[in-house]
Amino acid sequence: MSTELKKALYNISALADLGQAITSENDFHEKIQSVLYVITGTFLANKGALLFYDKPTKKLNTLTQKGFAPDDLNRLNPEELMSLGRNEPYLIGGDPVLAVAGAEILTPLWVRDEFIGALLLSGKLTVGPYTLEDLELLNVIANQIAIALNNHSLFMDLSDKLEENRRLYEEMRHIYHGTLQAFAAAIDAKDAYTKNHSHRVAKYSAAIARELGWDEHEIEGMYVAGYLHDVGKLAISNTLLNKVTPFTPEEREEIRKHSTLSHSITAKIKFPWKNVEDMVWHHHERLDGRGYPEALAQESLSDGVRILSLADSFDAMTSQRPYRKKMDVQSAIAELRKNLESQFDHKVMLVFCKVLDKEIKGELPEPDILPHLDRDSDLSVISALLEGIIVELSRP
Amino acid sequence: MKSVQFSVASRREGDAAIIYPKGYLNNLSGENLVIECGIYIGKGITKIVVNFSETDLINSIGISMLLQIIEDLKNIKGTICCTNMSKLLRDTFEMLGLMQHMLVFPVESDALTYLKTGKL
Repeated sequence: MSTELKKALYNISALADLGQAITSENDFHEKIQSVLYVITGTFLANKGALLFYDKPTKKLNTLTQKGFAPDDLNRLNPEELMSLGRNEPYLIGGDPVLAVAGAEILTPLWVRDEFIGALLLSGKLTVGPYTLEDLELLNVIANQIAIALNNHSLFMDLSDKLEENRRLYEEMRHIYHGTLQAFAAAIDAKDAYTKNHSHRVAKYSAAIARELGWDEHEIEGMYVAGYLHDVGKLAISNTLLNKVTPFTPEEREEIRKHSTLSHSITAKIKFPWKNVEDMVWHHHERLDGRGYPEALAQESLSDGVRILSLADSFDAMTSQRPYRKKMDVQSAIAELRKNLESQFDHKVMLVFCKVLDKEIKGELPEPDILPHLDRDSDLSVISALLEGIIVELSRP
Repeated sequence: MKSVQFSVASRREGDAAIIYPKGYLNNLSGENLVIECGIYIGKGITKIVVNFSETDLINSIGISMLLQIIEDLKNIKGTICCTNMSKLLRDTFEMLGLMQHMLVFPVESDALTYLKTGKL
């Protein structure tokens, strides 16, 4: 086999090496290092550098290099390089503007009309000049590298935009939740006895939804519904909300309007979560159809409504009200148990008991229900009660 | 083709270091060869024998690594001897014109004899 043929085969295999280096699963820096090794190994150049043009700063950044003095590379003016042929190797010779100590050939990298950077090589170890074949091969390599660098740059731009969008989304979520909390505070401020009620119902509802295996987006929707379920109370008079004596039938009717008002308010908001307005509307419905405002029953009530109904009732029972004392936790659980099937859902009750029992036993890293319960509660008694209900409700 | 994971072993023999690359010299792991030689150069060793008995193939990346070693030794007026090379390796080095920058011996002991006595 002639030397020319062997050289041609070596060049072809070098192009294959280049393709492999570019498409490897290595990280970008390793890829670029491999690419430079392929090039210096192909042309027997003991010095080489790959420079990337940073558009915002209009500077050339060194991606990787071997053998050159960093300061020499930093002196290169990208404007001068742009005036050279696109992906065409340029023999520096005595050019004073483009001279870099030890560099012999410079190839500006372009993709279509976009200047990407430059490839710099020293002379060959074997001292011989770059041949016409070398320059043609370098042109092919330059085209490939330019595309690879451009793709990386586009990918990084997209990643940056994605990151920025993610940041903005998180910021919006933060503002959104802040607004909801302000709303909830406004609702709860109307009634001194229901302070933090919306917050607790949101927490309890989300804890049940999480235990039911809902995904994070659905849990967030449940949380928001918990926060806003009583937003309609903003339109009910303070005097009525804080009345100490029992309600008259008319007053009860007036109070009951709050869930429909909650729906009217939330229906105007375009939530990113499903059924928030439905959950707040129907959180006083019952499985037996004796709830309000629409007297819906059984299948008409979504899981979200059933969760919210139980969480709301549990917190109402364990909170002080103007017309009655608060129940202890055991009594409230027993009351929920007593009203299973008629008012509360079997599955939701079972999950509520499980999550509360786990919180008591320290099995959940961030408890949502336990921190809000009466500090005087005997947790071992509550846990025993919950265990009994769990066994009972788990039976087929 | 399944390539063998590249590794490098070495030993000292008098004032020379013998390096044993093993596997296909075709990716960044080949930098270990440069690092290993660099360690001996750093200790003042100027004679390095690279025994290629367990390296049949080398690509452009491997050539680049070898260039680095040749360059490093040139800077300290050192000597690189290559031994036990397969025909494919010899042909590649010859075609690239690398032979004039290294001493080539059929076996490791020939290289060590030369480095010790200055005679073949």
